[in-house]
Amino acid sequence: MSLAYSIHYTAENSYEHWVHKADWQFLIIPETNATQKFVSVEFSNSINAVNQFSINGYGFPTIRIHPKQQFKEISFEASFKLIKKEVNPYDFKSHSNTAEAFRKIEELDFKVDFESFLSPTPYTAMPSKYQEIFRFDSRITIFENLQELNHWTYLKIYFKTGVTDVNTTVNEIIEKRHGVCQDFAHLFCAIARLNGIPARYVSGFLHQGNGYFGDSQMHAWVEAFVPFVGWLGFDPTNDILAGTNHIKVSHGKDYKDCAPLKGVVFSKGSNETRHTVQVLGQLQQ
Amino acid sequence: MLARVANNLFWMGRYIERSEHTARYLNVNYFSSLDAPNELSQSRQFVLQSMLFMVGDPVKDPSEVLLEESVLYKIGLDPQFPFSIINNVKYARENANSARDLISTELYESINKFYHFVLNYPTEVFVKNGLHDFTVNVTEMSSILRGKIRGTLLHDEIYAIIMMGINMERATQVIRMINAKYHDALNAQGSYGDKFGNSFEWTTLLKCAESYDMMRRYYKKKPTSISTLEFLILNPNCPRSIMNSLNQVYDHIQVLDPNKRYNKHSTAFLVGKVRAEYQYKFIEEIEGDIQNFIDDILNRLSEISRKMEKEFFDY
Amino acid sequence: MQKLENQIFSSYLRNPSLFDEIFDKKGDVKAVYQKLFDLYGAHSIKDYVKLNEKAKSSFFNQGITFQVYGGKENQEKIFPFDLFPRIIDSEEWDIIERGAIQRSKALNLFLWDIYHDKRIIRQGIVPMELINSSANYLHQMIGIDPPGGIYNHISGTDVIKHKDGKYYVLEDNIRCPSGVSYVICNRTALKRALFGVFNHYQTYTVTNYAENLLDLLETVKPKGVDVPNCVVITPGMFNSAFYEHSYLAKTMGVELVEGRDLFVENDFVYMKTIKGAEKVDVIYRRIDDLFIDPLEFKPDSSLGVPGLFAAYKKGNVTLANAPGTGVADDKAVYTYMPQIIKYYLDEEPILNNVHTYHCSRPDELKYVLDHVHELVVKPVDEAGGYGISIGNRLTKQEIETVKAQIKDHPRKYVAQPIMSLSVHPTYIEDTESFEQRHVDLRTFTVLGKDREFVLKGGLTRVALQKGNLIVNSSQGGGSKDTWVLKK
Repeated sequence: MSLAYSIHYTAENSYEHWVHKADWQFLIIPETNATQKFVSVEFSNSINAVNQFSINGYGFPTIRIHPKQQFKEISFEASFKLIKKEVNPYDFKSHSNTAEAFRKIEELDFKVDFESFLSPTPYTAMPSKYQEIFRFDSRITIFENLQELNHWTYLKIYFKTGVTDVNTTVNEIIEKRHGVCQDFAHLFCAIARLNGIPARYVSGFLHQGNGYFGDSQMHAWVEAFVPFVGWLGFDPTNDILAGTNHIKVSHGKDYKDCAPLKGVVFSKGSNETRHTVQVLGQLQQ
Repeated sequence: MLARVANNLFWMGRYIERSEHTARYLNVNYFSSLDAPNELSQSRQFVLQSMLFMVGDPVKDPSEVLLEESVLYKIGLDPQFPFSIINNVKYARENANSARDLISTELYESINKFYHFVLNYPTEVFVKNGLHDFTVNVTEMSSILRGKIRGTLLHDEIYAIIMMGINMERATQVIRMINAKYHDALNAQGSYGDKFGNSFEWTTLLKCAESYDMMRRYYKKKPTSISTLEFLILNPNCPRSIMNSLNQVYDHIQVLDPNKRYNKHSTAFLVGKVRAEYQYKFIEEIEGDIQNFIDDILNRLSEISRKMEKEFFDY
Repeated sequence: MQKLENQIFSSYLRNPSLFDEIFDKKGDVKAVYQKLFDLYGAHSIKDYVKLNEKAKSSFFNQGITFQVYGGKENQEKIFPFDLFPRIIDSEEWDIIERGAIQRSKALNLFLWDIYHDKRIIRQGIVPMELINSSANYLHQMIGIDPPGGIYNHISGTDVIKHKDGKYYVLEDNIRCPSGVSYVICNRTALKRALFGVFNHYQTYTVTNYAENLLDLLETVKPKGVDVPNCVVITPGMFNSAFYEHSYLAKTMGVELVEGRDLFVENDFVYMKTIKGAEKVDVIYRRIDDLFIDPLEFKPDSSLGVPGLFAAYKKGNVTLANAPGTGVADDKAVYTYMPQIIKYYLDEEPILNNVHTYHCSRPDELKYVLDHVHELVVKPVDEAGGYGISIGNRLTKQEIETVKAQIKDHPRKYVAQPIMSLSVHPTYIEDTESFEQRHVDLRTFTVLGKDREFVLKGGLTRVALQKGNLIVNSSQGGGSKDTWVLKK
């Protein structure tokens, strides 16, 4: 059984004064992978600038726009269709030897292989006073530890918009205890990495209608690498494992690698931006 | 050639040319007023007002008493005044800087020397007794630069762009001087029985355009309004005339746009059209309405300039 | 201190504890300098004062100047130039040249490795921290194969001669090393002032740098390009090295562009010309990594080109040097150079490395803290001579301050024995005489696909302040023409 998804994304920008020079990059196209297939993309903008399909520095597909005329208002609209295979997050062959897994993560080769997702970044650097905030328990499996971390993160932070912003670091998250999906994901990544587990920030869409947090904007969750198993998805904002409702777009070391929209706009005065996301799913036999 | 760099070279040419005309205007007006035949033309206020009018900063209140030193400083060396000679030279050098890889070392070195000369000219000396020395040096250095442009650059697109800048600016400056002197001649008429047509200002104007001697040779008569305007506007052989400048712009634009194809939207087309209009004008047509005619030329020149910018510099 | 019998050197004070490039220990002129010494000696110091003034105004009029920041608007300074050249004979040069190539190649292989399999780390030869704690390691570069396999197309290797008479490398600069235009200007200026002296020596030319650079850049063109279109990109005319950027573009005969002159369309790079868009294939960039593409790196930078990195990643344009080379010129990497050379080339280093103590290692930290007074302590990540403390110049109190700084951030510091840079007679304006001054040498190496080039000459930098060991131009240094003699 699979789901046929139809995703609608809009962004509207308006500026007080004429803008003569601007560049945007959208990182919102669903990834094609083992569970996401037949991705189709429709993209348009209101001033008929050329939509350039390209990639970002990590190879994820992007759309770049560089208008050649001046404007005060511009809106973007994207529609994606894809088939998502039903995912049972618990459906993996678990590795029984816990000690071996904990030994594995100490190996130099392992550390070199996953260097990108083990090193702290400006967003996820844990201040020294919080180094012991969540220690993995070597008596239970790494997967179980990660599940506990998922639950712990869920309880640690209250979902609330407007408290944090796109620049909030782990230190502030711990102290303010409020945040949005991005902050949940950063905290999870920081702690997993501290415990030697490769963790990557994931950006994507969440299927609406299930009352989950973070469904009217783009969503963020985490993938952690469990030795002898592979990458597994955790959604600490909702205290669940990533599954059929999670449609992945990109991953990276932190938000900075995955920002859905990057813009370099030269304008004076104030400006306003509005985004909407709508995800519709239909069961397929 | 990069569009931005082309724009810079165009403006380098313009600023070099502009410095020269501004400097000569100061020089000629100041020194010919000292022994001018009528009282008004000899009046210091009248001369200073004329200078400010010419550089595009006319006096709003005619009763305002101008101080000679501050007017000279403003037009010559004031870094705060956008149209001052020092700023012209500075802009010329900045524009040259950004195109340094395209122009000859010799040309750059001369511009650089020019800049350091103006930059280091002592203000005190300039406003007290250096006017002649300073302005003569500025005009001569501009001539040297034109010589280096002609003599050390490849006569290709780069050269054509600089020459277009120089000639566009020359036409603009000459028409501005005509405008200023036309005003002066209007204001000075009546005093001492000097009629507009035979005004002393026409001689001054010719000297400002460095065309007095040649004009005398050509007409063998004392300059009048008619003969002066004919010479400076319509005579294609006078190197400072509007007609001559337009002809040169037309020649150089062919280098950039060698298309012989009919294209009514091209700059080359517009230059050709304007040129053809003036080519077949005669002075009696203009005489009746000089002011309108001056305004018309200024408009046409800025129209060409805008079109050029759009076609070549604003990719 | 001894005095010498020669008009122009009559007041030259020779400190025998320093290694003098032209006088041996006994105070005799070295054979290779003898002719030059005699020729200069035939002049009076007054001639010298005049020549020096002339050379200065020649630089000034040519606009070979750099901007000084922080001063008033018109602060333009010439890079002080010394009329007494430095001579390097062919045997010594051979060592320098082979050594510079060896290092550049080893660094190139190192860069390839750390952006691919990271074998050198897996095998424990260098620590993981070299990449995961370096701000200059660009994860976006992982797995990218730069055209021709070259990362550090242009390297500037800084070498000194110690009092033991041997050459040591102080630093490898493989981001955007500058100074090569001064090498050529110095030669021109010296020729103008004292052309006669060239008749007596067989010196290699330095004016072939640009043509070699262009040739080698063309060997690393993107796939499928026949005759590549090369450009030089500069941050703009207000950059302190703008003269050099325009000089290189001019002598290579290529366009000097700014970020705003370029744009990316469908992952190809174009420049805006008076006749429309023209494709660009190879970019010699003089803009730092983080400024090349605001959509990929620093978003508030207007120096770069949006989309440039994607074009690079797709292999449609070559960037020289490649993004991410900065990780290999961190001072921490320097300290592993002997191991890096051995590992990739299976060779012994031709040029010596100055021994380095890592404050991040507890035993070495202890040694450093106990010996601050006889060490040079450097922050790992600063360029331009900033933040360096030289032990034997510090007061007791300053030593304690330095120790405290090291203890606070041991990873941030390395320490080296104080090297005694050799000295060279240098004309000093204030005293109108020749005095001993410390010198170093920046060499320029260009790597292409299966080819390399070292400029036979280099920038001999002089610390103009008496006794100063830091020769960077930002710290008040001058330079000398440098002659490499033919065999």
